[in-house]
Amino acid sequence: MTLKDILPNQRCRIKNIYVNNLRKRIIDMGLTTNTEVLVKKLAPLGDPMEIMVRGYLLTLRKAEARMIEVERLEDQKQ
Amino acid sequence: MIKIALIGNPNSGKTTLFNGLTGANQFVGNWPGVTVEKKSGKLKYKDFEAEIIDLPGIYSLSTISLEEEISSRFVIDGKMDLIINIVDASNLERNLYLTYQLLDSDIPVVIALNCMDIVQKKLEQINIEELSRALGVPVIPITASKKKGVEELIRFLADYDFAKQEHHIRYSSAAETSIAAFAELLRDRFLAIRFFEDGLKILEPLKLSQEDNARLIATFQKESDRHKLDFDMVLPNSRYDEILAVCGRVLTKNGHDLVSDTEKIDRIMTHKWLGLPLFALIMFLVFFLAFGPIGTWITDWFVKGIDFFFSLIEDLVASLGMMPWVSSLITNGVFGGLAAVIGFLPQLAILFLFMSILEDSGYMSRAAFIMDRLLRKFGLSGKAFIPMLIGFGCSVPAMAATRTLDKDEDRKITTMVIPFMSCGAKAPIYGVFAGALFFGASYLAVFSMYVLGIIVALLSAIAFKKTILKSASANYIMELPEYRVPTLKNTFLHTWERVKGFLLKAGTILLGAFIVIWFLSYFGFVDGTFRLLQDEEIGSSLLGVVGRFLLPVFQPIGFPDWQATVAMLTGFVAKESVVGTLGILYGVAGNAVENGSLLYEPIRAAFTGAQAYAFMAFALLSTPCIAAIAAMKKEFNSWKWLLFTVAYEMIVAYLVALAIYQVGSLGSGVVLSIAFGIAAAAIVYSSIRKFIVRRGAICDSCSSCTVAADCHLPKKEDFQAQIDKKEAKDIDQD
Repeated sequence: MTLKDILPNQRCRIKNIYVNNLRKRIIDMGLTTNTEVLVKKLAPLGDPMEIMVRGYLLTLRKAEARMIEVERLEDQKQ
Repeated sequence: MIKIALIGNPNSGKTTLFNGLTGANQFVGNWPGVTVEKKSGKLKYKDFEAEIIDLPGIYSLSTISLEEEISSRFVIDGKMDLIINIVDASNLERNLYLTYQLLDSDIPVVIALNCMDIVQKKLEQINIEELSRALGVPVIPITASKKKGVEELIRFLADYDFAKQEHHIRYSSAAETSIAAFAELLRDRFLAIRFFEDGLKILEPLKLSQEDNARLIATFQKESDRHKLDFDMVLPNSRYDEILAVCGRVLTKNGHDLVSDTEKIDRIMTHKWLGLPLFALIMFLVFFLAFGPIGTWITDWFVKGIDFFFSLIEDLVASLGMMPWVSSLITNGVFGGLAAVIGFLPQLAILFLFMSILEDSGYMSRAAFIMDRLLRKFGLSGKAFIPMLIGFGCSVPAMAATRTLDKDEDRKITTMVIPFMSCGAKAPIYGVFAGALFFGASYLAVFSMYVLGIIVALLSAIAFKKTILKSASANYIMELPEYRVPTLKNTFLHTWERVKGFLLKAGTILLGAFIVIWFLSYFGFVDGTFRLLQDEEIGSSLLGVVGRFLLPVFQPIGFPDWQATVAMLTGFVAKESVVGTLGILYGVAGNAVENGSLLYEPIRAAFTGAQAYAFMAFALLSTPCIAAIAAMKKEFNSWKWLLFTVAYEMIVAYLVALAIYQVGSLGSGVVLSIAFGIAAAAIVYSSIRKFIVRRGAICDSCSSCTVAADCHLPKKEDFQAQIDKKEAKDIDQD
């Protein structure tokens, strides 16, 4: 399962990053192994996606999200 | 005097603090070499004096863009005595990442913990002493936007003995073993860490020998084999673990997460259905205010004021009884030219003002987020949308707006294609020609010009990206900053800085250009003597001679006579003057600019439909006016790029006009030529698309990569296989 498959308002944990393009930047922005990510929403045209990571909002394209392997976390809230 | 550099994440309030620190003594100088400005100013407090350097914001010392590299190079080369690291307290975790990288070096660091007001609003608490103890450096809480704590920071800096500072950040044992291995070869912990993160690239200035390089690569290989985890993840992971531990100690969150204001605003602004219409509405409003009735009204008054002022000068000049050429130089050359350009000022100022507000408030990032998908198809990043849109008004502010783009290459591409967007000054040309020749279809003809401009701009963007600016990745990964209410002071500072830039340009480069053009159009041979000409004699001027001389060049693209050529040449000063010049040259009585229909008759006599359409297309696509060229020069900061762009635009304009005229004059004129234009664009577009699909994006393949040997990144092909396999498994399970 990759970050792309996580629906808005779902949480997930990063297992592995396979991104090649922008890899360093993605890691430096705090997307590292075991980091928890909350998917906020998709842009009105369906791409890019907005996520909450380490307490701030980050947007990235699905092309990159597709290369980030995650596991979905069950909702604790709601 | 000691040098203090301000370093922090983008949007963390560096420039606000810079203004706060340097205050009224501020000396803002542009540093040459790179487009984005580095500013330096003086801090004076009692007998303490320091040079403060404001550097572009960075998330990490590993950089992906040129202007980020300025900052990280600055740190790596140790060009300062002290770093003020601005940390956004409302986003401690990610901001501390850069702090930790800075603390890897030996350069003394003082942390300015900014945005304390937001932290308080979020009902969080930060234990400042504990943070200072954990990091081993002084931490000063400030709220730069409200000037709180800035005074304390200055006082602290004046007394602080930073030479004694020592950094003692240590990472996980796994990371430290590798750092030690590299440090043994490099004899410097900081360089070892930089090498660990960025590879050999970072060591280039050291000019290591081949053997040293080989030894480093071998060590790197050995170390990377030791780790289970991806090697490039070891250090960042450990750094973030450290940061998390520190944050856990210093940060107290009072109760549960509150829904922040930003979140509430974004529920509407980036809403699935409302997001796009709202974006369109905001853009429309900005345009409407700048170029609609209000902007025009202000401009009219402004122009009246200028005209009045200039008429005073004219009278003054006349009364002084100077030589005729001197008074002509002053009235027609200097002030005539300046009036044409300064007439834009009110509209520009309005645009700049709204751009500042959109930028400062944080909406600009949302606009990029919304538009990214559309622009990506043309190799542009979402952020390129706004500059291109402004280009419909005027290229000059549009080019200034490209600075909001991240990458130098993306900025170049955007700047290069902006002139193709049909600016406001070109509209009268279409109006006159379409009105004269296309009767019922005149609106369609004018509209098709705008479409043609967009198509050429987008195709050019793809072409540049695939050929000369391959490193332009149009990458997209962007933080959405918290919304902030723009402060009056900052908004006006921003606006004023841009207006000032425009005025300075008008006063320097443009002035010289106007004088040259004035000379060419007001001097010439009449009856064998070289003398100053009257307004109606422009046909005999040197420019007229040039126009006649160049006519054979323009005939293939449908220019009927030298008058058309001369009119086009004067368009390089300002596109507005094309219609006016045509009026003078065709001997129209009255003001052709204010009443375009006066020109209908002579145009009908001289032009066929295809010729007129080709003329319009050439006016649209050819090299922009001098003001735009000057703006372009400022953004590129390079004559090479400027000349290339100008030449490119001339060639494109010529080829398109040539195609329109040649095909259009074959058969039934206009309709056919429009159809041809569209068909040609479609063919070129589809072939370019194929090209893109085949070539793939920049870092998607190692097969054609020149640095593949030194690249320690895992291969994308391997990932793709793994991901595909996993996805197949996921689907099976479902």
